Amino acid sequence: MINKVKNFLWPLAFGVALIMAWQFGLFHKILKLKPFQLPVPTEIASTLAANLPKALTDCGVTISGALIGLIIGSLLGFMIAAIATFFPKWGYGGMIVVTALNAVPIVALSPIMNLWFSTGMQQKIGVVTVVCMAAMALNAYSGLNNLNPYSIDLMHSVAANKWTIFTKLRLPNSLPHLFTATKINIASSIIAAIISEYFAASTAGLGFGIKDNLRKAEMAMGWSYIVVASLAGVILYCIILLVERDALKWHASQK
Amino acid sequence: MKKSKFTSLVAVIMLILLAATGCSSAATPDTTKTTPAKLEKVTLQLKWLPQSQFMGYYLAQAKGYYKDAGIDLEILPGGSDIIPEQQVYNGVANIGVTWVSSLMKYQSKGWGLVQTGQIFQKSAMLLVSKASSGINTPADLKGKKIGSWFGGNEFEIYALLEKNALKKDTDVKLVQQDYTMNQLLKGEIDAASAMTYNEYGLLLESGLKDSDLHVINMNDAGVAMLEDCLFVNSDWISKNQDLYVRFMKASIKGWAEACADPAAAGKIVFDVDKSVSLDHQLYMAKEVAKLVVPTGFDPANIGSIDPAAVKQTADLALKYGLLTKAAVISEDTVTSKYWKLATTK
Repeated sequence: MINKVKNFLWPLAFGVALIMAWQFGLFHKILKLKPFQLPVPTEIASTLAANLPKALTDCGVTISGALIGLIIGSLLGFMIAAIATFFPKWGYGGMIVVTALNAVPIVALSPIMNLWFSTGMQQKIGVVTVVCMAAMALNAYSGLNNLNPYSIDLMHSVAANKWTIFTKLRLPNSLPHLFTATKINIASSIIAAIISEYFAASTAGLGFGIKDNLRKAEMAMGWSYIVVASLAGVILYCIILLVERDALKWHASQK
Repeated sequence: MKKSKFTSLVAVIMLILLAATGCSSAATPDTTKTTPAKLEKVTLQLKWLPQSQFMGYYLAQAKGYYKDAGIDLEILPGGSDIIPEQQVYNGVANIGVTWVSSLMKYQSKGWGLVQTGQIFQKSAMLLVSKASSGINTPADLKGKKIGSWFGGNEFEIYALLEKNALKKDTDVKLVQQDYTMNQLLKGEIDAASAMTYNEYGLLLESGLKDSDLHVINMNDAGVAMLEDCLFVNSDWISKNQDLYVRFMKASIKGWAEACADPAAAGKIVFDVDKSVSLDHQLYMAKEVAKLVVPTGFDPANIGSIDPAAVKQTADLALKYGLLTKAAVISEDTVTSKYWKLATTK
């Protein structure tokens, strides 16, 4: 119990110290910045409080785009991995293509998607989908194929067909990998959604808010969007952690 | 053992590099008194890419007017995420070109920047629509999709809308416009922001004729805000007054020549960067000349600051939400002192 409190107190103390140093100008001194270049936490907080409804609406736009893209991308990624597992001879080609796609930087992808889709939301979902596909495909593939030694032999010995092997052995085995992929994808989907908004036609969303306000010298407003984006990311990550803990009770890593 | 030696070697090299870059960045902003025979280094931060919008500086550079004034001028191109106010304040550049409305915003937030010259006497901002979309007056914008580049470029449009009793959030749909005119050409938006000297030319180059387009000009609509001006860091100018006046003198000479013969100036600009096409730079040079020396404007006054226009910009910026409190217009924020010194000597 005491250990648990300690585990919690140390990071908290560190965080508070960091914010205090920021508030009382330590960073400003080190980086030779004026408060109008780097607003202090209280100013960011009061700006955020004053503009909360708008910030939350923009947050909703970004997060919904990120989540829809995450779901579509993850499903596609999983399907590619499953196909590569069922039909290893030709299906693995899909894995190679998806890995190659992963190398395309988001900054290059966004303006291109902008030409393909007419609304900001479609463009955002498109970008996030592509970004999320690879992590899911790669993780799912290793989860579906790195099986316990002899387990597949056991399945064969009881004459299980491909489908039974998939649902009874491969799928449960891949579950921890799927969560790993989702945890990676939560962060990258939000990053991708925000960056895509830099280029989108739409004027809603956290990305547009950050870019537009920082250009117009509204530093505190820009920072409050950054705070909202970080909070949203952390909350989503925590949700995934909780779901994972619940779904993987049987797994060694949760004991 | 070998490995740790190698890492320490790498660390040492990194340190040396760090020290070297640290020294050089510390050395560049120091443009105060060096030996008189040597050229003094000055950097100019443009608001946008190298193009005829800035032909006066390029012409003066090409003809050696800055060298004659003892200045080694470096011209830094701008871009969508390069903000001249921040570049000049941070000391990346000494002198910057930006829009007055945007500069006022930074000044109101406490950035120690001062406007020292006004190159464009007129606003070049247009809202362009296809003639077929039937937008003949600003009031026709109701219910339409309007493109803007935002980041401070939207305030003339806000002013235009409000002046015509249209609410920007409910009566129209504002959309972020990219730096091409494709959204208008493809019909994704009804009206697009366009500068007389750049985007409007792109439309004409894409095969449209003046008669195919309808234009709302911010000057005619009474909502013009001042655009390209010169500004400096307040601390820098207090130590480099003479240097700045020499820069200004050479620049005014460059602008005067460029406006007298835009075709030659456009060619010079195109040779610098080969941006877009020679035709586009020539078109831009011709249009920019009209902004720097409008009809009836005495070319001897190139670069001068019109207090009435500054006031209109400040008033519109306050009225339509760019500024939250009225801009302080004083010698510390807008000054004609250096322009006078540059033109009388």
